[in-house]
Amino acid sequence: MSRFALAALAALGIAGVAMAQGMPKPTTPVDRPNATGGERLYVEHCAMCHGPNGMGTGLLGRRVEPALLEQRDNLNAQYVIMAARRGIGNMPPITRGEVSDADLKLIADYLAAGPHGGKP
Amino acid sequence: MGFRPIESEQMADIPLPPGFTAAKMSQAQKAFEAALGADRVFFEDVDRVGYQDKFAIDDARHHPAGAIAPTALEEVQAAVKIANQFRLPLWPISRGKNLGYGTSAPELAGSVVLDLSRMKKIEFDEANGVVTLEPGVGFYDLYDYLQQHKLPFWLSTPGNSWGSVIGNALDRGVGYTPYGENTKNFCGMEVVLPTGEVVRTGMGAFSNAPTWGLYPFGYGPAWDQMFVQSNFGIVTKANMWLMPEPESLMGMDVEYDRPEDLKAMVDTIGPLRRERLLQQSPSIGNWLRAAAVLTTRKEWTDKPGALDDSVIDAIRRKFNIGWWGVSLRLYGREEVNKAAYRILEKAMTDIKPMLLKPTSWVKGQPMEYSGWTGTPMTFPMQNINWYGGRGGHVGFSPLLPQDGSAALAQFQRTYARYKEFGIDYQGSFAFGERHLINVNAMIFDKDDSAKMAKIDPFFRQLVADAKAQGYGEYRTHLDYMDLVAETYDWGGGALRKLNEKVKNALDPNGILAPGKSGIWPTAYAKERKA
Repeated sequence: MSRFALAALAALGIAGVAMAQGMPKPTTPVDRPNATGGERLYVEHCAMCHGPNGMGTGLLGRRVEPALLEQRDNLNAQYVIMAARRGIGNMPPITRGEVSDADLKLIADYLAAGPHGGKP
Repeated sequence: MGFRPIESEQMADIPLPPGFTAAKMSQAQKAFEAALGADRVFFEDVDRVGYQDKFAIDDARHHPAGAIAPTALEEVQAAVKIANQFRLPLWPISRGKNLGYGTSAPELAGSVVLDLSRMKKIEFDEANGVVTLEPGVGFYDLYDYLQQHKLPFWLSTPGNSWGSVIGNALDRGVGYTPYGENTKNFCGMEVVLPTGEVVRTGMGAFSNAPTWGLYPFGYGPAWDQMFVQSNFGIVTKANMWLMPEPESLMGMDVEYDRPEDLKAMVDTIGPLRRERLLQQSPSIGNWLRAAAVLTTRKEWTDKPGALDDSVIDAIRRKFNIGWWGVSLRLYGREEVNKAAYRILEKAMTDIKPMLLKPTSWVKGQPMEYSGWTGTPMTFPMQNINWYGGRGGHVGFSPLLPQDGSAALAQFQRTYARYKEFGIDYQGSFAFGERHLINVNAMIFDKDDSAKMAKIDPFFRQLVADAKAQGYGEYRTHLDYMDLVAETYDWGGGALRKLNEKVKNALDPNGILAPGKSGIWPTAYAKERKA
C-alpha cells in the first residue's frame, strides 16, 4: 500500500494502520511566504487538490509520475489552461468567475516553467 | 482521458428561461457589463459549460445562460436591480463546489449564475472566536488566515473542503468536530433581499451593537435559518462561531466486522452523544467509504452488478477494515478527556469491535491533519474514481432517529436496493444531537451510459422507500428538489404553501433562485417537476 493510501486510511479513521504516517499538512499561502505571481496563485487556487494531500495528487498518482503538478517538467501552458477551463477526467472545470483569464495564464506559465523544487 | 465537451459542440443555442428571448438576454448582459464591468460578466460557451453541474445525472438539464461575479455588496444589489428590470432569474452560488448536489448549476435552465466567489473578506473577533465571512471564503482560505494570524481556533471541515465556509453552512453541510453541525454556528447575517434591500439579522439589526456575532436571536423573530436552503435572500456576509483550539484531543478509531453490528454501534454511541459525553458528530461508514478512496473497482473484479461478499471480504482483508468503521473524538481539557475516554472505551469494547485504535494528542504535539482537527481536505473525493472514467456521485440522505433497530432496517432495505440496481453500496450514518443522517452515496462513471441510466430510477426508488418509513431527506441534488419537497406533505403540503407565500411576498418577480428546495414563485410555478 502506498504511503498516501496508508495516510488516507488513517485520516478516514480506519484502525489498523500506523497513524505515524499521517496525512501531510495542506499547503496554503502561509507555507510559501515569498511566493509571488503564478506560484502564489497556484497555491491559492490549485493546491487544495494538487498539493501533497489533495484529491488531484492522489488520483494522478495512480497513473503519472510525479503526481505533484509543480514537479512536472512536461506541462504546456495551453494544455493547463484547456484542462482547467474544460475540466479533465475527474477534475471539474474552473470558471472564469473563480480564476480570471489573466490569473490562469500566470498559473499555466508557472507550471510550464517547471519542475519547481523546494517545499511541496 | 479526454477534455469535457464544450456546449457549442453539444447545443448551439444559449439556454433561456421561460418566456425569454436571446435579444433580451443580450440586453441584460450589457446591463450587467455596465454595472459590474465586462471582466465580471461571463456569457461565452466556456462559461456556460464551466457553470454546469459537473456531476450531472442528466447532462441536458440545469444549463445556465451565463454568470456574473460581483465583488461587493453594492454590486450584488446592482445585479439584483437589473434582474428585476429584465425579470431574469439569478442563481446565487458561494463558490459553486457543492459537488453531488448540483455544484454551480441553477435549478432553472437559462438562469444567470450569481457567482460570489470573488467576495473573500475575512474579519476575526479573536476575543470571542467569531469570524465574519463573505461567501467566497473557502475552508482553505480561512485555514490559511488562522495560521497567518496565529489564531488558536479550529474549523469544522466537510469531506470536500474545496467549497465556501458559509455556503456549506447555508446548505446544512456538516463537519466532524463539536462544531460539526455547521448551520448552528451562524450568528447573524447580512442579506440582500430579492428586491434589493439589505437587512442584517439578529443583533445586526441594532446599530453599532457589539453583540452581532455573540447573540444569534436578536429581538422578535430570528431569521438566520430562513435564509438557509432557501431562495429568500442572498447572504453577502455572515458571522460564524469557531471552536477554540482544545488542550487535548483523545479518542479512537473503531472497526466492526459484521453488517448487523450497526445496531449495537448506533445504540451505544447515540446515548453518549445525547448525554454530551461525546460532543462531536461521529459518522459510521461502511467499508467502501474507505476503500473507494484507496483503490478502484477494476483492481478487484470485472463482474457487473453489485460486488459480492467474496470480493468485499478480499478488499477488507487487504486494507484490514471492518464492515463498518467509526472515529470518536473527545475535545477539551486533558483531565476531563481522560475520564471520558475510559467510559467511551468500555462502551465500545463491550460491543466487541474487530479493532480499536486509541488516539491521543495534547497541545504542542504534532497534530493529525484530519477532519477531527478541522483540517481542510479534498482527498475523500477520490472515491469518484471507483468505477473509473469521468467519475461523479450523488447522495440520498434521509433523516432517522438515533435508534439501532431503525438504522439496521434502513441499511438492510437500502442495501437490497443497491444490489437490485447493481450499484456498489457506500453508506454512512452521521450523528447529530438527536438524529442520524443516513448518507447513501451513489458513485458513478459518466462515461458508462447504461449505468448512468439506472441512477435516476434508483434515486426515486430510495425516496419512495424512505417516505414509507417517514424518513425525509435533509438536502438534495437539483434534480430531486421538487420530489423531496413533495415528501414533506403534512397538512396538504402546508409548509410548501407557506414557503411559497413568503417567496411571492419577498420576490414578486420571482427572480431569485426559482425552484430552490422546491420553492417556486408564481412566475415560474409551471416549471415544477416531480
